[in-house]
Amino acid sequence: MSDIKKQTEDELLEEVTTSEYKYGFTTDIESDTIPKGLSEDVVRTISSKKNEPEWMLEYRLNAYNAWLEMKEPDWANVSYEKPNYQDVIYYSAPKQKPVLDSLDDLDPEMKKTFDKLGISLEEQKRLANVAVDIVMDSVSVATSFKETLAEKGIIFCSISDAIQEHPELVKKYLGTVVPVRDNFFSALNSAVFSDGSFCYIPKGVQCPMELSTYFRINEAGTGQFERTLLIADEGSQVSYLEGCTAPMRDENQLHAAVVELIALDNADIKYSTVQNWYPGDKDGNGGVFNFVTKRGVCHKNAKISWTQVETGSAVTWKYPSCILKGDNSIGEFFSVAVTNNKQQADTGTKMVHLGKNTKSTIIAKGISAGYSDGNYRGLVRIAKGATNSRNFSQCDSLLMGDKCGSHTFPYIEVKNNSSQVEHEATTSKIGEDQIFYCNQRGIGTEEAIALIVNGYCKDVLNQLPMEFAVEAQKLLEISLEGSVG
Amino acid sequence: MGLIDNLAKYAQHQNLSKDKRVVFDSFIKKGFPTNSDEEWKYTSLKKIVKSEYNLFPEFSEIDNSIINKYSLGIKDKIVFVDGNLVFSPEIKGVQITGFSDFDCRNNDAISELNSALAKSGFTIIIEKDIVVENPIEILFFNFTKNSFSQYRNRIIIGENSEVKIVENIQDLSKSSTLVNHFTHVSCNKNTKVEYNKIQNNTQESKLIDCMNIFQNQDSVCEVNTLIFGGGFIRNNLNFEQNGSNCESNMNGISLLDANQFADNHTFVDHKTAHCRSNEMYKGIYLEDSRGVFNGKIMVRQDAQKIDAFQANNNLLLSDNSTIDSKPQLEIYADDVKCSHGCTIGQLDEEALFYMRSRGIGISEAKAVLTYAFASEVIESLSIPELKNLSQKLLAHKLNVNLDFSL
Repeated sequence: MSDIKKQTEDELLEEVTTSEYKYGFTTDIESDTIPKGLSEDVVRTISSKKNEPEWMLEYRLNAYNAWLEMKEPDWANVSYEKPNYQDVIYYSAPKQKPVLDSLDDLDPEMKKTFDKLGISLEEQKRLANVAVDIVMDSVSVATSFKETLAEKGIIFCSISDAIQEHPELVKKYLGTVVPVRDNFFSALNSAVFSDGSFCYIPKGVQCPMELSTYFRINEAGTGQFERTLLIADEGSQVSYLEGCTAPMRDENQLHAAVVELIALDNADIKYSTVQNWYPGDKDGNGGVFNFVTKRGVCHKNAKISWTQVETGSAVTWKYPSCILKGDNSIGEFFSVAVTNNKQQADTGTKMVHLGKNTKSTIIAKGISAGYSDGNYRGLVRIAKGATNSRNFSQCDSLLMGDKCGSHTFPYIEVKNNSSQVEHEATTSKIGEDQIFYCNQRGIGTEEAIALIVNGYCKDVLNQLPMEFAVEAQKLLEISLEGSVG
Repeated sequence: MGLIDNLAKYAQHQNLSKDKRVVFDSFIKKGFPTNSDEEWKYTSLKKIVKSEYNLFPEFSEIDNSIINKYSLGIKDKIVFVDGNLVFSPEIKGVQITGFSDFDCRNNDAISELNSALAKSGFTIIIEKDIVVENPIEILFFNFTKNSFSQYRNRIIIGENSEVKIVENIQDLSKSSTLVNHFTHVSCNKNTKVEYNKIQNNTQESKLIDCMNIFQNQDSVCEVNTLIFGGGFIRNNLNFEQNGSNCESNMNGISLLDANQFADNHTFVDHKTAHCRSNEMYKGIYLEDSRGVFNGKIMVRQDAQKIDAFQANNNLLLSDNSTIDSKPQLEIYADDVKCSHGCTIGQLDEEALFYMRSRGIGISEAKAVLTYAFASEVIESLSIPELKNLSQKLLAHKLNVNLDFSL
């Protein structure tokens, strides 16, 4: 019995480890790239290519100088060959920039790309009621639904347009949540970011549709450094989706993004990510280095909810965080992180409680298979003034295969006596008895594993908006192909 | 001049062997750990190592009444005064001697310092197939003002043997002192060891304790750390399991007040399959006290079928008390059951109200709930005298007089 089981397990693992990356095609689009390397001139070139105002150039140069003094962090429990920052192309844009408002003018090649990715813009427009901003190789290429949103006063555009058209908002908020000197990668991003999304929801407005950005790295040897700035003014509400893919390439591509969320009094932001950067082949060659800084600040009674499904990237280094500054604010973090083959993920969240009666919830689910390593690293800090605060954290890990690892590094710091913090973590594999139970009832081993994995991730998948939940489930399927039905 | 300069000067006049010199130089190179060291993130030695210490103990005579005052009343006692072994019992099958050097150190500055310069401590060797019936009590007294003392102890337990030990470090110098304590325990096949530490010292005393336990097949080892006082306490408790069917148990209570500080670092290294570990640390923090907990469980790649559990529960009873907790799991094997839980909270207002509405005063009601919180650990103590003492100290610290014992 156990021999047979062992065999099927091995077969499943074999299948898992040989599953392929579905989004690994490249698109043949002419692009405008600058030479490799980073210097003050490159920063100036990016800024001038984008026709940016003087203050923006200053901001970039300031960040560049800060970056020069900083060291690449090595505290994360991942090992990789540090990228050579002089061997990266810092700016690459599809040459033929389509007219923003009419999607029919889109380059047919590019349209094909989006169809392959499953984002047929027209269809989405009609069926899903989702406004999409697409960023390819660092430059925003298409934004749909701009007019419908404009009627409500919602600004949803690429950040370079925002710098031109709404400089007062960008100037006021850019770098307030993630300061230039925050860390090595945020400094790099601040210096060279080429595009990203910008969103502003005015006072009291409920965004009528889900906003979405799709990121794709296309050009070889490019790094993607996008910047997202989302401001929800008092009493407003928005749900934001983000998806990412990249072609299969042998070399490692660098992705160092910064996302800043600002939830003013009574605002509510829901930020969902399905990250599916190319994870490299099964021997760990190639793949995207995903070094992302995501952070939101909650003012009074505001709420920020992060939901992420992480299946891609060779190395992930990502801690979406909430600073609960205002009284009664709420932070949430729901995450599924899947690692397979030689992938490594060091991910988690930070909840910094500053205001009174602040609440935070952390649900992190890790699944490790193959030779991969999954880490949860989290911080819950309750400051002295954050009286009556509450935190609940749960991080579970599921191990599939005996060559993978799963680790938890939670930091808990409590500085007053009216707050309550609970943390629990478990690590286990899918029990033989659980599978046996399903087998007994006529459910095959493969379906049984699928059933268990889906049930295991349910708490998180339930948090995703409808359209994304379907995509996320599909992704889990691909990442653990052979074991998830 | 800080402690490190003192030590460098001191070492010059010692006739250190070549090996010891290398270890000492490595210590000097590393220096005392700072907050930027991950293992010392929440614990600062800065002030402590800046002070002046007396590196030369002055031997004092000790009165029996003092020993009795701090003893649990256990018959078999080992007594140290100012670093000198003054008393050791005769037990069949057990050899008890003073300091004898051995090679074991962790890769950190403080244990290197101990390895290089320590000249005091005990050696307990228990023969095969010996069940030591009565517990052994080890008392360390210090009368030297502003002393910096280092102890280096070794315990070897032969196959199929059993022993229970209680350790107590007491400072009677009424001055600021620092102790660097290192204990190495080898548990051979099928041994059963219980080691209890009473840490109830003065406000000015500082203690850095490191205990390395190496376990062999079928051994069971339990370490209870009972902290009821001390200006600064850092405990490093490391278990290494080197055979199948080992069990490592750790229990701890930290009950602190004033501006006391206690840091418990535990590390269980599961190297072999079919082993267990159990960890339960309870913290109760009053007034301006601070607590740190860092529990790490490592499961190596071939160590399948591990069952590891870790809990760290904390009560913050004052608005100025703080706790920093870091429960950690590092797992490289798949067929394991590992979990940890950490809670930080207060006494239940409703339970307090329930008792008060039945005529129980607030401080008694609080004490009953706190007792209940700590009882899980106190109940697990197997030496009755130690259990009594813990209950008494708990009541004393909570400032109540309860007419019952748990």
